[in-house]
Amino acid sequence: MFEAPAGNQATLALDLRGIDKAFYGVKANDSVDFDLRWGEVHALLGENGAGKSTLCSVLAGLYRPDAGTFNYDGEPVAFRSPKDALAAGIGMVYQHFRLVPNLTVAENLALGHPGVGMRISQRALVRAANELGARYGLPVDPLARVWQLSVGEQQRVEILKLLYRDARILILDEPTAVLTPQESAGLFDTMRLMASEGKSVIFVSHKLREVKQVSDRVTVLRDGRRVGDVVTADAELRDLARMMVGRDLELPSRGEVAPPGEPVLTVRDLRVDGDRGIEAVRGVSFDVHHGEILGIAGVSGNGQRELAYGIVGLRRPSGGTVVLDGEDLTRAGVRERSRRGIAYVPQSRLGMGLAPGLTTDDNLALKSFRDPPFCRGPLLSVGAFREQAAELIERYDIRGVRPGLPIRLLSGGNLQKALIAREVSQHHLVLIARSPTRGLDVGATQAVRKLLLAERAAGTGVLLISEDLDELLALADRMLVLYEGAVVGEVTAEEATAERLGLLMAGHRDEVGA
Amino acid sequence: MNDSTFVLTAFAAIGLGTPIVFATLGEIITERAGVLNLGVQGMMLVGAVTGFWATFRTGNLLLGVVVAMLAGAALSAIHAFSSITLRVSQIVSGIALALFGTGLANFIGRTGTPALVGQPSRETFEPLLTGGIANWPIVGPLIFGHDTLVYVSWLVVAVASYYLFHTKAGLTLRAVGEDPASADAAGVEVTRVRYIHVMVGGALAGLGGAYFSLALVPSWQDDPIGAAGWIAIALVILASWRPWRALFAAYLFGAAGRLNFTFQTLGVSVPANLLAMIPFILAIVAMIVLTSGKRARLLGAPAALGIPYSREQR
Amino acid sequence: MRVGRWHVEPRGLASTRVTLLVPLLSVFSALVVGALFLALTGNNPWNVYTKMIDAAFGSSRSVSETLVSATPLILTGVAAAIAFKMLVWNIGGEGQLLMGAIFAAGAGIALGDGTPAIVALPAVVLAGAVGGALWASISAVPRVLLGTNEIITTLMLNFIALNLMNYLVLGSFSPWRDPNATQFPQGRPIPAAGRLPEFFHRLDWGIFIAVAVAIVAWFLVGKTRWGFEVRVVGDSADTARYAGITVPRKIMSVFLLSGAAAGLAGALLVAGVLGKMDPRSLDLGLGFTGIIVAALARLNPLAVVPVGVLMGALNNSGPALQSIQVPSATVTMLQGAILIFAVAGEFFIANRVRRRPPAIPTATVQEDAA
Repeated sequence: MFEAPAGNQATLALDLRGIDKAFYGVKANDSVDFDLRWGEVHALLGENGAGKSTLCSVLAGLYRPDAGTFNYDGEPVAFRSPKDALAAGIGMVYQHFRLVPNLTVAENLALGHPGVGMRISQRALVRAANELGARYGLPVDPLARVWQLSVGEQQRVEILKLLYRDARILILDEPTAVLTPQESAGLFDTMRLMASEGKSVIFVSHKLREVKQVSDRVTVLRDGRRVGDVVTADAELRDLARMMVGRDLELPSRGEVAPPGEPVLTVRDLRVDGDRGIEAVRGVSFDVHHGEILGIAGVSGNGQRELAYGIVGLRRPSGGTVVLDGEDLTRAGVRERSRRGIAYVPQSRLGMGLAPGLTTDDNLALKSFRDPPFCRGPLLSVGAFREQAAELIERYDIRGVRPGLPIRLLSGGNLQKALIAREVSQHHLVLIARSPTRGLDVGATQAVRKLLLAERAAGTGVLLISEDLDELLALADRMLVLYEGAVVGEVTAEEATAERLGLLMAGHRDEVGA
Repeated sequence: MNDSTFVLTAFAAIGLGTPIVFATLGEIITERAGVLNLGVQGMMLVGAVTGFWATFRTGNLLLGVVVAMLAGAALSAIHAFSSITLRVSQIVSGIALALFGTGLANFIGRTGTPALVGQPSRETFEPLLTGGIANWPIVGPLIFGHDTLVYVSWLVVAVASYYLFHTKAGLTLRAVGEDPASADAAGVEVTRVRYIHVMVGGALAGLGGAYFSLALVPSWQDDPIGAAGWIAIALVILASWRPWRALFAAYLFGAAGRLNFTFQTLGVSVPANLLAMIPFILAIVAMIVLTSGKRARLLGAPAALGIPYSREQR
Repeated sequence: MRVGRWHVEPRGLASTRVTLLVPLLSVFSALVVGALFLALTGNNPWNVYTKMIDAAFGSSRSVSETLVSATPLILTGVAAAIAFKMLVWNIGGEGQLLMGAIFAAGAGIALGDGTPAIVALPAVVLAGAVGGALWASISAVPRVLLGTNEIITTLMLNFIALNLMNYLVLGSFSPWRDPNATQFPQGRPIPAAGRLPEFFHRLDWGIFIAVAVAIVAWFLVGKTRWGFEVRVVGDSADTARYAGITVPRKIMSVFLLSGAAAGLAGALLVAGVLGKMDPRSLDLGLGFTGIIVAALARLNPLAVVPVGVLMGALNNSGPALQSIQVPSATVTMLQGAILIFAVAGEFFIANRVRRRPPAIPTATVQEDAA
């Protein structure tokens, strides 16, 4: 099962030329060339929206390219589905895991595996899982159901799945987004181990430091095209950044740390339950001051969502208090809190922030529709909706809006702008934002960061809950780290480093003072 | 002993329950693939009428069964196309097929000369054994006294259970119903798996319908199956999508359908209409008690049930 | 996306032409399929269809009968339309209609002959709406409080209502049963004061009530704040919750209104053409036909009116078919086929299907939709 790949070291593992792939008339990959050698860790670098995921989906057989040639180990291939790619030995670990939550790890390993016979032998699967796990440093309990595992463990299962299928090329799409810096280091060890055995690893990322740390070569994509292909050792971070972004672009960041104003949001000993009834926020206390950005860092799944819900009013806290500008809002509902001044930009743009099938006008009115002039008695005033929308679209540069069009057809960046526009155009004292730039391209990220900093300058207290350390380091005046529902450390902007935050995010309480 | 109310009721429960076993099992398989098929009633009816017609013309029971299954599969193929390829509302599509199937069955039954309506069955399924062990106390009639299709139903339940939980194909099926995106990424042909299992479900529903017309009723009438197809849909949930539980749930409802008779023989006089309500009331109560709130998560509805899948969905 | 050799891409917004064309094509396709079945069984489809058109619209009497048939269908269509729009799968229109009939007849009989029309008629009609709403609440309450799936509960309640009605008239000597009918059991006629006046052959005021309800429903959903909230809930319950909309209350009110509309249909039948609760004339699948009406009308309450008339025409032509030795089940078959094509047609409204891949303009890269 673990023989060395038959590929000749002289042939390229992958050789793609002129790959085109378009969606709805827009090219996500535009004449892209890409080559991969056996036994190397090759990074695919680019901003969100550069086309990395699309290219990988083409490699993994999920999408068929509209044009171009695709050679695997010297032979042309045309994958019709992920099944073909897997059979050939190319597998991908997606950003959003493709594991069936209600099945066990062993069952997920067996799924779709051509080598598994008609009858399923639980024992054989367990044995294989344990062997592979030990060998590659990816231990996991084969009989656990996937929904019971942590995110890091789930990722291990994804990799094991590919190894169990004798994958020779493994594509990892932004794998470190859900890991602490320490877990990422462990992953990099696994990747180098696989490369040393002759397998090839494609490591997709937009994080320059990591790319420099683990890869042999880097291919840089920008706006759907390949802009560079370098040996990692020869490239400087600055060069990579410039290739990635196209200009010496500075993303807006905080600049001077502001002296904190008065506290505007006071959270004391907050306790909120999670979905399954277990406590997800365990006694959290903090203040957000006027004119500051307070960051909440942490790996996803440590209570961030429940914390937001508890403050915004989407879930009744089971303990503790939420006080806004002197008013105790702990018992108040969403509408009351919104009226008093809590604005919220949820992580799920199209699932909670915006109603996907409704028009932009309707969505922009979701907080204001109850009051005149939007509403006269029981009657709706469509004209008022239109006017408000026109104004917000102009002010916040929301593009792509057409009358009658469902808002879900807008791009990610415009959706986010619409969401923020709606929230901040109402009276508000506090703005809570969860992962506001996730999945956005450079232009949109710029715009959103500018909006957040503008809020800060205007005196709003901003609570920035994010899993993106770079974003927090750039924007926050100070940071709290959330681990398993509790605050395990507070770090000011000056003291903050990725290493220190990483330790906290992994649960190691602050050893350097508290 | 074998004339006792208990034995008679249990025997009838198995008889009346068998078509529901087939239909429920078929729907379990369909729903395990993630597709909700509310058209079971229509599929059973077309199975019933085509099975009757085929046997009526040729005198061959096996042919009747095969034709019934093909008819059920064909009707469910329409639902499969709507739900899987066109990805339209599975609920409305299912109801459309229930209505169409009902109309079609009535149409076939009343068309042609002579029309099927009122015609006595040419051949029916009879109990396999009539003497010997079929006369043993209690176990005799209840285990050994049935016709072929009842034993087929037991076999199908056993096979379905083994298939679902001990074979790779069954694992694939379950994965498709839980999380088709992950199954797709693992190399499973989601569309094909769904089509196949929807049609198998339709075939089983057709078989269930054929049991009515080929074993339970002496002639073809306009309304041979009552609400059996609709009940099967409820039973899938009450059986937690598991074959063995479906078997017992179906027999329970078969017994409920028999209550009128049972009460009469016991000397209790309860109006037939009120008794007829009992299976439906039971279904509602069970739904509310067993499936609400937190418990719902534990009962194992396939997570992707009723949600169309598209690989390039953005 | 590709399906075989066809390229499928979502439309952003379908033009009016498409939204009108597709339902029309659905009806046409269903007629073609029906013609096929008719031809296969030795009938002449042309004869059959012309006979149907004649039976439905051929004379002033036919037209009135068509409208009589349409009245309950408009109401059950509205009931289904407003519920489905909110993703409340109320498939219990049948049972709610029957319950409405039971309540309406019960009110009429209870009030007795002495009550003046000004009291009796509204009482009968309202009782029907209340009955339908109450019956719907049996499914609505568990749905809202416990999350119980309403598909099964509303479905099962249909049969319970049917058996209840049969019991009241056929299976017992309840007040609903006509004490003067000795030959076979019949429903007891309600007092004349509770009846809707006829004005055009058998057509009574009920048709105006039905159309009025459709207009009110359209107005409520499209033009009021309540309707806006309902539409938000139907699109995304989480977003609605975040916007401060009390989702359970919305679901409840839509469910109850839907039941009331169906119950009203039953009441109008009792107060109108039937004059009594007649099990044979009520067990017609009007609730399910209402679903067909709603789907073909694309859940638009105004469109329900013309579609309801179309279905009424179909229903009306059924008996006439028997005179030419064609099973009246042809109508049910056609209606089912119409629904199948109407539902499938949604695909063509939502997507554009082409032979060749779409043209690729030189545009900038699409950002990731989060």
